[in-house]
Amino acid sequence: MNTLNISSSPHARDRWSTAFIMRVVVLSLLPTTIVGVAVNGLHALLVILVSVIAAVGTEFLFDKACHKPDTWKDGSAVVTGLLLALSLSPTVPLYMTAIGSIFAILVVKCCFGGLGKNFINPALAGRCFLLISFGRAMSSFQVDGVSGATPIALLMTGKSVDITKMFLGTASGVIGGSVLALLAGGLVLWALDFIHGEICFSVLGGFTLYLGLFGGQGFDPKFLLAHLCGGGVMMGAFFMATDYVTSPVSKLSQMTYGLLIGVLGGLFRLHGSTADSFSYSIIIANLLAPLLDTYILPKPFAYRRAALRAMKGDRRSFLQRIPRPVIVLTVITLIAGIALSGVYAITKDTIDDQKRMANTASYKAVCPQAERFEARADIDQAIFNLNGAVYGTRFGRAYIEEALVGVDGAGETAGYVIRVTSADGFDGNITLVVGLNAEGTVNGIAFTELNETPGMGMRCAEPAFKDQFNDRTATAFRLNKAGASDNSSADGIDAVSGASISSGAVVNAVNAGLDFFHAVIKEGT
Amino acid sequence: MLKDTFRGGVHPSDHKDLSRNAPLREFLPKGEMVFPLSQHIGKPARPIVAKGDAVLVGQRIAEADGFVSAHIICSCSGKVKAIEPRRTLTGGTLECIVVENDGQFTPAADYTAREDVSAIGNDELLRRVQDAAVVGLGGAGFPTRVKLQPKDPAAIRYVIANGAECEPYLTCNDQLMRTRAADIVEGLQLMLRLFPNAEGVICIERNKPEAIAAMRQAAAGKERLRVLDLVTKYPQGGERSLIQVVAGANFPITKLPADVGCIVENVGTILAIQRAVVFNEPLYEHVFTLSGEAVKNPGNYIVRDGTSFAELLEAAGGLKDGVTLRKALCGGPMMGIAMSSLEVPIQKQNNGLTLLAEDPNELAEKQMTACLHCGRCTTVCPMGLLPQLMADAVMVGDLARYEGKLYGLECIQCGSCTYICPAKRPLMQTFKQTKAEIMARKRAEAGGKK
Repeated sequence: MNTLNISSSPHARDRWSTAFIMRVVVLSLLPTTIVGVAVNGLHALLVILVSVIAAVGTEFLFDKACHKPDTWKDGSAVVTGLLLALSLSPTVPLYMTAIGSIFAILVVKCCFGGLGKNFINPALAGRCFLLISFGRAMSSFQVDGVSGATPIALLMTGKSVDITKMFLGTASGVIGGSVLALLAGGLVLWALDFIHGEICFSVLGGFTLYLGLFGGQGFDPKFLLAHLCGGGVMMGAFFMATDYVTSPVSKLSQMTYGLLIGVLGGLFRLHGSTADSFSYSIIIANLLAPLLDTYILPKPFAYRRAALRAMKGDRRSFLQRIPRPVIVLTVITLIAGIALSGVYAITKDTIDDQKRMANTASYKAVCPQAERFEARADIDQAIFNLNGAVYGTRFGRAYIEEALVGVDGAGETAGYVIRVTSADGFDGNITLVVGLNAEGTVNGIAFTELNETPGMGMRCAEPAFKDQFNDRTATAFRLNKAGASDNSSADGIDAVSGASISSGAVVNAVNAGLDFFHAVIKEGT
Repeated sequence: MLKDTFRGGVHPSDHKDLSRNAPLREFLPKGEMVFPLSQHIGKPARPIVAKGDAVLVGQRIAEADGFVSAHIICSCSGKVKAIEPRRTLTGGTLECIVVENDGQFTPAADYTAREDVSAIGNDELLRRVQDAAVVGLGGAGFPTRVKLQPKDPAAIRYVIANGAECEPYLTCNDQLMRTRAADIVEGLQLMLRLFPNAEGVICIERNKPEAIAAMRQAAAGKERLRVLDLVTKYPQGGERSLIQVVAGANFPITKLPADVGCIVENVGTILAIQRAVVFNEPLYEHVFTLSGEAVKNPGNYIVRDGTSFAELLEAAGGLKDGVTLRKALCGGPMMGIAMSSLEVPIQKQNNGLTLLAEDPNELAEKQMTACLHCGRCTTVCPMGLLPQLMADAVMVGDLARYEGKLYGLECIQCGSCTYICPAKRPLMQTFKQTKAEIMARKRAEAGGKK
């Protein structure tokens, strides 16, 4: 009887502990991990292992070095390591993975006080640290041994993507790219109350809303789905934004925080220079979370307006209580939204027509012999089969957009036009049309999209450069980088001085078009 | 505005299967009986007996001192042995009247004769409640007569009979409602006489289907009376939770239920009102659950005030063989008081003894980590507070933010936040301490002004 413990109530505790929550989060990421490894192979597994081991090891060593209690056992480092690995390219070198993982734990977590004290999501911090340090390796993606642009990179260049592949996770991208697996894990976490629906759904909602309003394609389900399925939106919404430590506390501030992430994500996605819109939008929102917790404080039930009203005996219904201006504003917003969508729907065809006319004008310029341009089934099929992927690795990141047969007044084949986009421009995409005569000699080229540096890359459009292609026959042109004129060789092209990147991209694009001509168009005749 | 639960709350394992079907048994103690002079909220009572006086069951041995106070009633017959400070369950000492029990339990009057009370007025009814020393048996021990006299009786819309019994382990009110349903309904009808515009609502959690059925049957056909079954959730039996459900009202800690038109009484108290009014019987016994994993024979009892916890436990068969008692709780685990010794008297408002072989708090301390900001405390807080931010404010010593922006004084100390915290942080304990600190400072400031 003399060993009774005295302590304050409550004398009961819920089963959930910190370690338990971490274990469940790891379990919920298991489907994503399995799909990621299955699709991307052994190296992906190694990336995951290295990342997790580096994370746990760093925390362990930090605890030891600083004589702190063993916090590495609580499993939070495993979660960080796993999330980091899942947000990396499957081809990233292992040493980089380790560096990212160590940075995440040591700098972002441990140095700021360990569990519960990190000011931004450590996994995202590690990812962004790597992105800034090793940009090239981080954004090189391969699938089935062939490197290719991620679906989001394609989307940003206005190409169509295979949503099914993105949904299943077989499109090129990060290890944890399977939307299906992420959704399964995330929804289970939400259903079991491990993550706040206020956050993940307002992230998705804010993102969808922003893209719908400002994406230029209205609420086109295909367009929205493609954006939602790519670029780490699901990973961000369900696993990164919902991180307890770096998100605010009250429901209202959580919704604000989620919307902020969604809208910023949309903004960066549409106008940013990188596909990593979500990493940065979440980090910015993380930094704002303490501010939200300071200023958005819900009052206790007893002090909320409803309770105060009830005490005064006010029994108006919800609709009756909404201030008139709110109703008016809502109606105006709705009408404006519907009108905008309507205008878009009406003008969509006109916009497309104008684009087509602009293209046709370029086609005419490089293939004057033709009266009209016709599609050919086998060519279209070949382009379709490319599925928006890079056309051969020899030409850098070049994409075949369209290829048509020019027909003269007599109905005879007068030439061909091939529209090619290169993503290797100094400042964005370069789209050009290669015009060929019926024999395969280049008539000339014309640019439909060129945003290079004025006075340098932009000079590609000047006759001095682009007319070099005129009336020459070659299987592939070669860039004379030295600047010395070398027109003696049949396939030499002089670069615009000081703009070798832009010139190279143009030559690559033309070569891709020529290759396509020889491999597909000529074969088919 | 009738829903079936309040906002927030937690679902602790209720452990009620240990004792829920054990019938109520009267326990007559043999040892000396100890009656603390303060078993209620308000001023302690003044003794009106002296050492050596002979006393009987139901005899008043101390008188209420002031409006908010209650009499003390003897629950056995015998001789007053001493009036001296004795240890009570919180560990401190209180002035107590000690009675040598003669084991006869001779009543001071006949408490079995039923009186027709249909003609008595409200003043007489209230007088009988006060004379019978009825206090709230739910835990706080607030003098019932004071509660039954709000400023404006006509403004009372609901009289709520609290049979929720949301505290884990406790089952005595469950048994009470099963066996004394008609008497409770009669008590509630007596209360309704005081409040012409009120409806009686009997609230019971759904984990007590037999009690719900019994009360429904007893209340059937009665005017202004209804039984409401509620979601099983802690703290459903809290005064404020019940008012939120029944009246749809939330009110600040500075207000009373009567301010939102509600009177809440525990079903045991309502039975005591019925006994007091109809049988002129003072309150000297009440229902009590003896339970917990360490107890050999968990059960429900009718115990006399002043009985020693230890004597009841021993008579009930003591602890399970081979079990070491780690924690003795007066009440249940959520709000119960941890006792340092069982050699203390059972008071009026004590409704259970829970004995545990393991101390959950001890285990929790080992699992404690830094706060994850998971927000579970915010989700479960029945008052709509932000426990996590409150704890942060206390940690950095920002009491102005704690009290102002975060409404820290509104905490009702239900312990839901501490229960749910995965990082096992002592949230509610922090708030309890901080609140006491702020209140003490306020009192000191007010005293300084005088």
